[in-house]
Amino acid sequence: MKTKVLALAALTTALAGPALADKLDDIISSGTLRCAVVLDFPPMGSRDANNTPVGFDVDYCNDLAAALGVTAEIVETPFPERIPALMSGRVDVGVASTSDTLERAKTVGMSVPYFAFEMAVTSNDKAGITSFEGMKGKTVGATAGTFEAIALEKQVKEWGEGEFRPYQTQADVFLALSQGQIDATVSTSTVAQANVKTGNFPGISVVGKAPFDTDYVALFTNREEYGLINYLNLFVNQQVRTGRYAELYEKWVGGDLPDLTVSGVYR
Amino acid sequence: MFDTAMTANDLLFLLKGAGMTLAVTGVSVAAGTLMGVIFGVIRVQIGPWWAAPLTFLLDIFRSVPLLIQLVLGNAFQSIAKLGWAPFTTSCVILSLYTAAYCTEIVRGAIDSVPPTTRRAARSLGMTWAQDMRFIVAPLATRIALPSWIGLTLGVMKDSSLVLWLGLIELLRASQVLVTRLQEPLFILSICGLIYFLLSFPIARLGGYLEKRWSPND
Amino acid sequence: MFNYTFHWNQALKALPQMLDGALVTLKIALLSMAIGLAFALLLTLFRLSGSRILSGFARTWIEIARNTPALFQIYMAHFGLGSFGIHLSPFTALLAGIAFNNAGYLAENFRGALKAIPDTQTRAGRSLGMSAIQAFRLIVLPQMLRVAFLPITNQMVWAILMTSLGVTVGMNTDLAGVTQELNARSFRTFEFFAIAAVIYYAIAKVVTLAARLIAWRMFRY
Repeated sequence: MKTKVLALAALTTALAGPALADKLDDIISSGTLRCAVVLDFPPMGSRDANNTPVGFDVDYCNDLAAALGVTAEIVETPFPERIPALMSGRVDVGVASTSDTLERAKTVGMSVPYFAFEMAVTSNDKAGITSFEGMKGKTVGATAGTFEAIALEKQVKEWGEGEFRPYQTQADVFLALSQGQIDATVSTSTVAQANVKTGNFPGISVVGKAPFDTDYVALFTNREEYGLINYLNLFVNQQVRTGRYAELYEKWVGGDLPDLTVSGVYR
Repeated sequence: MFDTAMTANDLLFLLKGAGMTLAVTGVSVAAGTLMGVIFGVIRVQIGPWWAAPLTFLLDIFRSVPLLIQLVLGNAFQSIAKLGWAPFTTSCVILSLYTAAYCTEIVRGAIDSVPPTTRRAARSLGMTWAQDMRFIVAPLATRIALPSWIGLTLGVMKDSSLVLWLGLIELLRASQVLVTRLQEPLFILSICGLIYFLLSFPIARLGGYLEKRWSPND
Repeated sequence: MFNYTFHWNQALKALPQMLDGALVTLKIALLSMAIGLAFALLLTLFRLSGSRILSGFARTWIEIARNTPALFQIYMAHFGLGSFGIHLSPFTALLAGIAFNNAGYLAENFRGALKAIPDTQTRAGRSLGMSAIQAFRLIVLPQMLRVAFLPITNQMVWAILMTSLGVTVGMNTDLAGVTQELNARSFRTFEFFAIAAVIYYAIAKVVTLAARLIAWRMFRY
C-alpha cells in the first residue's frame, strides 16, 4: 500500500513537474533562445559573403535573447518550414516576418506586430508597367502563401485576365522577374528596394505602391504559451519605446519608420 | 561564361552541400537496406497473405511523392513533439522510402533462387539458416546488386528534396548561391556536374556488374 | 502526447479544390508520358543509327536524365533556360522536365528490351524484302514494347510522383501546388498533406490497375 502511494506521489510529481515550467521558464533555464528566421528575405534575413546570417530579424532575435539574458541561436527555416519547426520544439520563437492573419492564428499564437510592410510593385523594365493598374493582363508573381500573394491572386482573378504564379521563395520571385518570366511582382517595399539596390537583378525597378492594406507581421510561438506571448508583446513595445526599433530600421531599411499601431482600436 | 563572381569559398560551400547530400544518402541507404533485407525475407517467408499488411504499408512509400512524404513526416514529428532535427527527419523518411524499394528487390532476388536448389540444400541436412546463408544469399546477391546500385543512385538524387525541410544539401546550396550571385545557369551547371560526377561512376559499375553477372550474355 | 488538435473538417472543405488539382496532376503525367515515349523511341533509333553524332547525342541525353535529380532538371528547365531568355511557363517547364526525364529512362529500358530480341529476326525480316524501317516497326517494335511494358508502367507512376515537384517553379494548379497553397495560408500542414497523400496513392493505384488491364487485353496470347 505504502509503495503504491509513494509510486503515485512520484508519478504526480513527474507529471506535474514539467507542467509548472512553461516555455518562458524553459528558455531561461536552458540558456539559449532558438529563433526561426527566413534567410532569403533581405533585408529581414539573408546571408553575407561568408554565408553567415544577417538582417533585421537576426538582430531582433539577438535583442530578444539579450533581454531574456540568454544566447541566441538562429535556425534557418524556409517559409514553409517555419511552423513545423516551432511545433516540433526545434525553435522557441519565430522571428520570421510572419503576417498575423486570422487563419494562421488558429494554429499559432501571434504577438503584437513588430514590423509593418507597405506593398510595392516591382516590374521588369521591358514590360512597360508603370503602376499597379498596369499589371492588368500581365503575368505576375509573388511568394506563395504570403499576405501579398493572396491579395494579388485575388486581384488577378478580379481583373479576369493575366496570370498569377506563386514561387516558394522570395529569391525565386526576383530571379523570375529579372529573367522576364514574370512581368511584375508585388512584394513588401522594403524587400523590393533591398533587392533592386543590390544590383544583382539588372533591368527591374520599383514602379509604385500597391493599394493593399498594410501587412503587419508578428512574432509567433505556440498558441498556448500565454506567458511567453505576454513577454513578447512587452518586448515589442519596449523595442519601440527605447528607440531600438527605429535604430534597426535605419540600419537595415532606412526611410520613414512605419507605424505599428492601428488607430481606432485596441491592441 | 567563366567571367564569374563565384569564389573558392563559394565552391567550398557547394562541396559542403554535396557532403550533406552524401551523408543523408549514406545513412538512408544503410538503414533502408537493412530494413529492406529484413522485410524482404519476412515477406518471402510468411507468404503473400500474411505479409499483406506489410506489403500495403511499404507500397504507400512507393505510391506517394517523396516531397509529400517528407512534409507529412515532418509535420507528424512536430505534432508528436519528437523534436527531431531536419537531418533526422529526412533520414528516417528516406530510409523508409529506400526500405520500400529494397524489399521488392530482395524479395525478387530470393524468389529467383530455384526452389529445387534450396530443397537440395535442405535435403543435404542444412538448416534454414544455413540454406539462407550459403545458398540463397550468394545467389540472390548477384541478382539484387545491379538493382540495388540503381536504388542507391535513385535515393541520392531524390535526397535533393530534403531542401524543403531546410537542410542545405547540394541543390539548396546552389540556390543560395544563385540568390546572391545571380548566375543561375553557371551555378546550376556546376551543381549538375557535381551530381553527375557523384553518380556516373557508380552507375557505370552497376552496368558493368549487370553485364558480367547476367547468365545469358 | 499530442498537444495538437486536428482540424479535419476545415481541411476537408478544400477537398473539391484538391481533386481538381489531382486532375491537373494526371493530365501532366499522361502528357509527359506520351512525349517521353516519343522521344525515347527517337533516342533509341538514334542509338541504333550508327551515326556517331546521333548516338552521342542520345547517350548524353540519357546519361544526364538518369544521373541528375528530377528536381534539378525541372528547376533548370525554368530558371536555367530563363537566363537564355527562353521562358517556359511553370506548366510547360514541369512538363518539359518530366518528359526529358521520362525519355531518358524509357530509352534505357528500350535498350534492355532490344537485347531480348535476337538480331536474326531483323535479318529474317530483311531477307523477306522488308525495308529497315518496316523490319523495325513490324518486328522489333511490338516485341520491344511488350518486354518494356512493365518498366513503362513504373515510369508512369514515377511521372505522377514527379509532378509534385512543380511547386518549386511556381506551379499552383496541380495537387501538390494546391496543397502547398492551402498549407501556407492556414499552417495546417499535416491535415492537408495527409489528404494529398491519400489522393496520390489512389491515382497511382488506379493507373497501375489500368496498366494491368491493358496488358491483360493486349498480351494475353
